[in-house]
Amino acid sequence: MSPLAQVLVDGIFTGASYALMAAGLALILGVVKVVNLSHGAFFTLGAYVAYVLEAKGVVHPVAAVFMAAGIAFAFGVYLGKSFINPVRSHPFAVAVGSLGFAVLFEQVAQMLWGPHPLSIDLGAPWATFHGVTLRRWGVISFLLSLGLTAGLSLLLSGPWGLPLKLIAEDEEIARSVGMDVEKIRYLTFGAASAVGAAAGALLAPAAAITPTMGRVPLILSLIVVIASGMENMWTLFFLAVGLGLLSNLGAYLLTPSWSYVLLLAVICLLLVLRPSGLATVAPGRDY
Amino acid sequence: MKKSGALPYAKITGVLAAGAGVLLLLPLAGLDAFLLNVLTLGFFVAVFAGSWDIVGGVAGQISLGHALFFGAATYACALLTSLAGWPFPLAAAAALLFSAAAGAAVGALSAPLKGPFVALLTLALGEAAHEFVLGQTFFSPRGAYSWGGEGGIPVLLRSQPLSPWTAYYAALAFLVLSTWLMLRVARSQEGLIWTALSGSELSARASGVDILKHKRRAFLVGAALAGAAGIGFAACVGRATADDFSLELSFQAATFAAVGGRGTIVGPVLAALVLHSLLQGTGIPPAGRVLLYALALLVTLRFFPGGVAGTLRERARRRRMVVQGNGEVR
Repeated sequence: MSPLAQVLVDGIFTGASYALMAAGLALILGVVKVVNLSHGAFFTLGAYVAYVLEAKGVVHPVAAVFMAAGIAFAFGVYLGKSFINPVRSHPFAVAVGSLGFAVLFEQVAQMLWGPHPLSIDLGAPWATFHGVTLRRWGVISFLLSLGLTAGLSLLLSGPWGLPLKLIAEDEEIARSVGMDVEKIRYLTFGAASAVGAAAGALLAPAAAITPTMGRVPLILSLIVVIASGMENMWTLFFLAVGLGLLSNLGAYLLTPSWSYVLLLAVICLLLVLRPSGLATVAPGRDY
Repeated sequence: MKKSGALPYAKITGVLAAGAGVLLLLPLAGLDAFLLNVLTLGFFVAVFAGSWDIVGGVAGQISLGHALFFGAATYACALLTSLAGWPFPLAAAAALLFSAAAGAAVGALSAPLKGPFVALLTLALGEAAHEFVLGQTFFSPRGAYSWGGEGGIPVLLRSQPLSPWTAYYAALAFLVLSTWLMLRVARSQEGLIWTALSGSELSARASGVDILKHKRRAFLVGAALAGAAGIGFAACVGRATADDFSLELSFQAATFAAVGGRGTIVGPVLAALVLHSLLQGTGIPPAGRVLLYALALLVTLRFFPGGVAGTLRERARRRRMVVQGNGEVR
């Protein structure tokens, strides 16, 4: 009983951080209107930042989150302004280019930190209930993910979210009322990347840190975004938690690599069953 | 290369001929065995890049899982020759059929999808196949060691191993033949329909084209050609590994196509040949190689987002207009 309970609790905790990541991807999809395959790289970046901080003696999720988010925001703004914005209207350039950035980052990470899995040592467990171990990092990261997702949803429904919603709805009108659409786009891209990196930093102790670790969360958040759209943050949140549970159960009952195959099967099934895909990324012109 | 106008390559037929001459001459000019091998494998990689261009360039279906077809062929070859004990030619034929079937299956799944979703589906299918193959191990009939995964499975040729010279010329002949075939296909009726599809699905459908059928066919043809390249590659290397399915390989194919000019067949083939030979021949470690591929890709996409060939064609058109109308553009 207790190993399964542990797997379930861990699944919920990781799912919350995946929700954060998926929220970032949904934001990019809605406002920048591209399917961003480099989102997983920012997740990996966050995890490595947490690892390096731990190696330097700073073992706290909040520190890791802010550091990772700051670095990722800078890179995200660069990527959004100098690459994604200029090539936005070319589906080939966006898909292959964003994948290219992910591959580039994977190689750089491999050069900097090596191909071998790294891990963060968290020390003694924080509390134990009936054989289920809670760790301080896990609890804080769960609460932080929950808070950040709630904050994001609040922000989007408030006055700050209005320009983003307008651009997602109709960018011509947004431009005609004097908004700097391109600027909002790359800032959104940066912020969403920062959110992805924050999720990576929060989840760093839960997984083996490798250069290609970002692929699993990328696929997972793509599933979430395709299935739930970006209207409601809470559908997105619960879907991510559900998938986190599924992937953790898959890893526990089968093997970790099978849980990845399971997620890939889910996304294939989803795409085949919903060929029209998302309304938000299908602009007026047909491909 | 008969008709001019449609493809910018019509003007460089002479250059292509000279290139073929150089490639024919190289082994005679005392190239060492290592570089000969790099070029031999480069010919197969070039055909693989060309086969990507059939699907991704001519037909416009962005495939990020093209290695699936390549790996399906190498694995089928290896399993049939080593485990089932088939003779190589029979195994090669079966492998070709298998990769074509994989292409038909992927094509059937992705045909109703549009733009970025084709990329997502092919990416997911390719990754799933890679992950699946990575976890499979087979017990070798001889000796108590296991095959599969990163270590790979040997491909048994069951004959005298080809001399590097023979392999080189055979691969070169395969490249020339496949490139000719791909160009023929791209300019056939079918290829024209694919081009129309990649231009605008809506108008293709409006003119009465069964777009699903033709998308499936594009995948079938591209997969069969990728499989053919995989069979040759596996025969030369003598081993099929899980890397044959990897995302990096699919990504490389897309890179060659983007750098060489999507939809032109000759461009991706040349880009693959040049980049592969340069990076493999100079002994850069694999990680550095992928890094350089990614950089080449990003620079190309940034400055030619609509494709190298398209942008150059556009520029040439502008220049012609400037000459015809007294120095004014348009």
